[in-house]
Amino acid sequence: METQDIKGFKFSMDCKPDYGIVTVEIPSGKKLKVEAAAMATMDTNIEMKSKLKGGFSRFLSGESLFINEFTAKNGNGSIQIAPACPGDVEHIYLDNQMIYLQNTAFLASDDNIYVETKFQGFTKGFFSGESFFLIQCSGTGDLWFNSFGGIIEIEVDKGYVIDTGHIVAFTDGLEYEISRIGGYKSLFFSGEGLVCKFSGKGKVWIQTRKITPFLNWINPFRPTKNN
Amino acid sequence: MENQFEDIKPKGSLDVTIKLRPGSSAAEIKLLPGQEFTAEAGAMIAMSPSIQMQTTTYKKNSGGIMKGLKRMLSGESFFLNHYSAGYEEGTVWLGATQAGDMMVKELNGEGLIVQGGSYVASSPNIEINTNWQGFKSLISKESLFWLNLKGRGTVVFNSFGAIYPIQINGEYIVDTGHIVAFEESLNFTLTKAGKSWLSSILGGEGLVCKFSGTGTVWIQSHNTSTFGYILGPRLKPRK
Repeated sequence: METQDIKGFKFSMDCKPDYGIVTVEIPSGKKLKVEAAAMATMDTNIEMKSKLKGGFSRFLSGESLFINEFTAKNGNGSIQIAPACPGDVEHIYLDNQMIYLQNTAFLASDDNIYVETKFQGFTKGFFSGESFFLIQCSGTGDLWFNSFGGIIEIEVDKGYVIDTGHIVAFTDGLEYEISRIGGYKSLFFSGEGLVCKFSGKGKVWIQTRKITPFLNWINPFRPTKNN
Repeated sequence: MENQFEDIKPKGSLDVTIKLRPGSSAAEIKLLPGQEFTAEAGAMIAMSPSIQMQTTTYKKNSGGIMKGLKRMLSGESFFLNHYSAGYEEGTVWLGATQAGDMMVKELNGEGLIVQGGSYVASSPNIEINTNWQGFKSLISKESLFWLNLKGRGTVVFNSFGAIYPIQINGEYIVDTGHIVAFEESLNFTLTKAGKSWLSSILGGEGLVCKFSGTGTVWIQSHNTSTFGYILGPRLKPRK
């Protein structure tokens, strides 16, 4: 899939939705923020610099939102960025806008995008094993994010109910609250647990697979400890 | 594969579209006001706010909570969620645990045997029998359980990897871990894959299912247990 966004970087997203990978052409002298360890291949004239931005909250989020900066020197350079999970990649051009990402969803962005880990508070935090942290991206420029499984975009108009583990990203301005669905029996046996109820107008990106059921499935295959 | 049934849509069938096939498949089920369906517990990804959900152990208005608990303890956690649209229409998105495909099948009164882990959703008119004992008589390496679905309406199931049908006319052998579903019209016996039990077990095939008669078997390209046995030993032991 070839996409050319004249507003931002030249880029393409290939092997979607199962094994999405992003190729970005960085113009000479320009800088790209990339999630640590996501660089797969790059031209030799691209220089990498590790940044320890974000401070202590990054360690609390239980996830390495370590961002490396890639700068093209003496001419344009191309870089391929591959996410950790088999899954989809998606792109959005932020025009002085703000978007929230689930805490493993950040892949890459224009250097002008301000990327920050935000604590949601214990009452609003995503329960059911998800993180209490979200990644807030704001400013003007390209942003790429990734998922486990495919990504589906949902226009929220009259509200939407989404399983907390399936949220990839959502636009600023949407209100959300964590609640249960169904009766008390559903809370324990429905397998849905807690859901996120979005209201207002905006967009939510959801992923078709979820990490926790996959971990629950693999668990019985682990060896047992012999004391 | 079989999700183009717009032209012949019997009463009680569901409006299902499978998106992002084959590896990241998800089912989009559109409900009209008053319409409802049943789905595997935990399959819901997202839904319209007007949709109501109710959890039961087996079928709506039958089956107690203790029965469900018992099933959960025996490793066959099988809870069902019932989704219903009230006065407004709405959409429910369903997903699966493993990477793989989904398919839609219309039943016209015939019976279908579906591997428990492959069941995704069905119309309310489809009977779901969790006590199907067909394969219970022999101990299989794969800890699978089976559902017997019968009635008129739509059934959605998923696979690990690709899903494809095999028309059987005569006899055919399928590894039990690769079976997604098969038509009840088929006869089957569990048997060894090789000539002797020793070669069957050493060959890693263990028990296979020998089908006979006429009907369709839906096969998944990958076997979840085999995948699990590759990943498991590389993980930290359980405490």
